[in-house]
Amino acid sequence: MATLVCENIVKNYKDKKVLEGVNLEIEQGKIYGLIGRNGVGKTTLLSIMTAQNPATSGQVYCDGERVWENRKALDHLCFSREINTMTPLGPNTLKIKEYFRVAKALYPNWDQKMAEELIEHFGISIKKKINKLSKGMLSMVTIAIGLASKADITILDEPVAGLDVVAREDFYRILVEEQASTGRTFIISTHIIEEAAAVFEEVIFLDRGNVLLKSNTEELLSRALHVTGDADAVDAATEGLNCHHAEMMGRSKGVTVLLEPGQQLKEGYDVTVQPLSLQNLFVALCGKEA
Amino acid sequence: MQEERRTRVYELLAHDKSIYLQISEMIETDIMRGILEEESRVPSTNELAKLYAINPATAAKGVNILVDEQIIYKKRGIGMFVSPGAKDRILQKRRSMFYENYVKGLVVEAESLGISKEELINMIQES
Repeated sequence: MATLVCENIVKNYKDKKVLEGVNLEIEQGKIYGLIGRNGVGKTTLLSIMTAQNPATSGQVYCDGERVWENRKALDHLCFSREINTMTPLGPNTLKIKEYFRVAKALYPNWDQKMAEELIEHFGISIKKKINKLSKGMLSMVTIAIGLASKADITILDEPVAGLDVVAREDFYRILVEEQASTGRTFIISTHIIEEAAAVFEEVIFLDRGNVLLKSNTEELLSRALHVTGDADAVDAATEGLNCHHAEMMGRSKGVTVLLEPGQQLKEGYDVTVQPLSLQNLFVALCGKEA
Repeated sequence: MQEERRTRVYELLAHDKSIYLQISEMIETDIMRGILEEESRVPSTNELAKLYAINPATAAKGVNILVDEQIIYKKRGIGMFVSPGAKDRILQKRRSMFYENYVKGLVVEAESLGISKEELINMIQES
């Protein structure tokens, strides 16, 4: 089992700053959710964490060892990326089983039986060519490769993209069962936040090139509140607190509050306090236009 | 059985409560209804995680509440079981919470609607 640490990761593509000094520690045995808006640098960060993309500056360590060009460290990691139906040379006519053959060479703990069973479970033939697969089927192949890699730290980039609701449910079940029975670490990036919230032990919000927050999901939600009421009362009750995403409607006001440990709303004001879903909290914190 | 439980969790997930509390309450409700009898085995943390597609750590937190309250107990290496007297203990707990959780809110809402105590009592007697 392994831990992964990012130290001050900076990534620039020409003049564009994508990551602006990311510090992140991934502990073993947890399912992490990586959430961020389009173009915020999620895939870039994940590819740097697994040494598939060099950082402009900063280091990634797996169990204290640099991962860059380090076979020993990389043996602990799997980044199952989105598979394209096109290659620079034309349509991708490789078969799923050929992808599995590559994966077997790449991952020392590769479980061929599990990979084949998952593909069969998803109702796909292992002999199918990649360019004949739908978007959902491509996601299923990346899921099968990620899970069957049996890597200590397995990263899945938008694994549920294109999957219907039944297949998504199915994936979450397979994921928690695998995690519970092996203690592996998973990092899952997704845009479908709400239905996955219960699956993530911790969530990481990535916003504008940096980690906005990393927290235990339950703990985070327990200190996130939506406060509404008369604007003056809301302002008084939330004075000095971390307020986000204020919305005015005539004299009434709604605001999202993220309490720090030990903080609470000021008592004695006529306001309505409601808990927030992870999705609404994300919108409140990261939804503002850049 | 599995289908029924899943529907219930979706309803409950719409509520404001933390998932681990929902898990512990669901097990309690199954014990109260006699679906889980005393000394019978309770689904393991991993089984619960898979059944409800939730994080195993969250499932464990829900289960541990019940262990702390001695509603279920662990047999090392075998699993978790419903404690003798669990049903009565849950009943007592829920009764003591009934006033806080239901009656108080009922009275406040009735007051704000201008429903008098007498009218409220009449409604309860008629229902």
